[in-house]
Amino acid sequence: MSDSKRGGPDRNVPFRNPGWAGNTGEYELSEAEVRGEEYVGIRSKDGGHPSISTTMPYILDEKSPDAPLFEGEYRERLDKIRSRYPDLRGALIPVLNLAQEIRGHLTSETMKEVAAELELSDAYVRGVATFYTMYNKAPVGRFLIQVCTNISCNLCGGDEVLAAFLKHAGVEMGETTDDGLFTITEVECLAACGFPTAVQINSRYYENVQPEDVPALLDRLREEGA
Amino acid sequence: MGYPYSHEKETVVLSRGFGDPATRTLARWKEMGGYTALEKALNLPYEEVIEEVKSSGLRGRGGAGFPTGVKWSFMPQEKKGPHYLCCNADESEPGTFKDRELMRWTPHQVIEGCLIAAHAIRAEHVYIYCRGEFFEATQVLARAVEEAYEAGLIGKNILGTGVDIELTVVAGAGAYICGEETALMNSLEGRRGLPRVKPPFPAAIGAFGQPTTINNVETLCAVPHIINRGGAWYREQGTEKSPGTKLFCVSGHVRRPGNYELPLGFPMMELINDVCGGLRPGRTLKAVIPGGSSVPIMNAEECASCTLDYEGVIECGSMLGCASVIVMDDSTNIVKQVRRMVDFYAHESCGQCTPCREGTQWLSRILVRIENGKGTEEDLDTLLELGDQMTGTTICVLSDSAAAPVASSIEKFRDDYLALIRRGERVGAA
Ligand SMILES: Cc1cc2nc3c(=O)[nH]c(=O)nc-3n(C[C@H](O)[C@H](O)[C@H](O)COP(=O)(O)O)c2cc1C
Ligand code: SF4
Ligand code: FES
Repeated sequence: MSDSKRGGPDRNVPFRNPGWAGNTGEYELSEAEVRGEEYVGIRSKDGGHPSISTTMPYILDEKSPDAPLFEGEYRERLDKIRSRYPDLRGALIPVLNLAQEIRGHLTSETMKEVAAELELSDAYVRGVATFYTMYNKAPVGRFLIQVCTNISCNLCGGDEVLAAFLKHAGVEMGETTDDGLFTITEVECLAACGFPTAVQINSRYYENVQPEDVPALLDRLREEGA
Repeated sequence: MGYPYSHEKETVVLSRGFGDPATRTLARWKEMGGYTALEKALNLPYEEVIEEVKSSGLRGRGGAGFPTGVKWSFMPQEKKGPHYLCCNADESEPGTFKDRELMRWTPHQVIEGCLIAAHAIRAEHVYIYCRGEFFEATQVLARAVEEAYEAGLIGKNILGTGVDIELTVVAGAGAYICGEETALMNSLEGRRGLPRVKPPFPAAIGAFGQPTTINNVETLCAVPHIINRGGAWYREQGTEKSPGTKLFCVSGHVRRPGNYELPLGFPMMELINDVCGGLRPGRTLKAVIPGGSSVPIMNAEECASCTLDYEGVIECGSMLGCASVIVMDDSTNIVKQVRRMVDFYAHESCGQCTPCREGTQWLSRILVRIENGKGTEEDLDTLLELGDQMTGTTICVLSDSAAAPVASSIEKFRDDYLALIRRGERVGAA
């Protein structure tokens, strides 16, 4: 049911996208079909074909702040990434992505290791890393929940969805819950404006989230995280 | 076919296969005629490919509407070193959500468009720069790239034509400004995403110091269709100056938001009231932003006769941009929404230019003050003056974009501002 007070898609009209709501049978497509899970399959950590070696998840489920960065399959992936650029510097963004994927956030130690690997100065790498918002400079929870409150979502209640997440997780904006499960922040437009409110949780998009959906959504994540 | 809703008034070219998971696969894409345009193009001299695209009148879908064939012809005639093609998949303009659909439903269409464009500009390497947040769409695209490599559609001696083109998918790391073409190239080179001063233009000195062309995802997706069916066919849709079909991203207060593919020149009110199912019951139209957050806001009167093509929207006081139509009904607090957009620009300013770095912060602070009922009428003049100083004075147009909604909303919705200001005075006096 669409809330006529808030706007957003009219859920009484046949709607093909299951949004976050899962395979309830109400929608033409399943969540997996929308996400292309079967098509994409499981990607190998060595990056597979070099042309796509830069595109693994930016947050692994099992992140480990002390894991070695460039060993084994990750070393292979690093070499593939480097082979796609005319110089070493070009590989910096993908390699920082890789480091964050493994460790969950970028410490100055991690940045130094990246700098050494790519023959760049520490200060240069730090300068680049701090420019981009997706690099976490401090640890985040098991689930990083980012709620879009930009204009299209905002018109349909984005602020209320954010408030619902904060309330039901019992945490302040930008903070992590005591159990380490959830970090909740506001995010700029996720380019899913036709599916308000758009929420990104780790690497996944959840679409058409309404405030009343939030408790069940958090429950589902708790189950996944258990 | 639109997604998540479709409508009988659509003209389906690029959106064929939206909402059908099978379209992602190479097998189905080929059944649908995929990669025949690539084969045709690679067997043509590059000049002829450019001519065909020029004759179609295709205009860039990344916002500026610059003719694509003309842009390609700026690449140096004499090839001295590598050429690069960058596909701009950094979509992050508030209100815009078409490139993500193209990538996640029709990844092979994106790849085919990139390869044909690369041949036209004689590039040996294509970089598809995907927005970092687009993890899901990027995975789908990556899988398709892998399939295409396996099938000999990318790489050495493509389809036995002797043409070599490599293609790399790159994921960004969260920065709206990296959608600006020169910032994107800096980011690709492993630098901060700072826009560069132009000239030199990318066709002279672009990525890694080499001649480079940069095109939007949707622009490139139109190319295979033009090669297959001809520039003249493309011109059958749309208007004289804005030919072809366009994905319209409609969001906000309509009953069926989503992407719809329509010929350019489609009437705005028909899009809102018919294709998108109209407003919620009992509501009236207050304002529309027709091209993403960077363009001036329109009031209901201006919308009434507006047609959605590059020229039509300019005539009605705004710009088509990426055709990201944000619809607002009479429940909207315009000042709050303008403030929200300005906050976005303040957050995303790269900080190189003082008018932009300081101006966006000032605009935001004054707007917050007005929103909280603590503003004065003089604040409106200050906002306008600030906006003036931020326009045409910076390296890129992000600064202009931040000022546009402020100036246009004060002009067209002054009463909304005054109501907040006066209510504030009364509250203060009581
Ligand atoms: C601040 C700013 C952000 C931009 N963001 C994007 C973007 O996300 N995607 C895009 O295709 N073009 C974006 N552009 C436009 C690009 O600079 C460039 O004009 C476009 O990619 C060219 O492609 P086209 O000729 O196919 O339209 C942006 C421009 C500016 C000034
Ligand atoms: S106008 Fe703003 S975003 Fe653009 S280069 Fe200057 S400071 Fe950076
Ligand atoms: S405004 Fe929320 S995704 Fe674009």
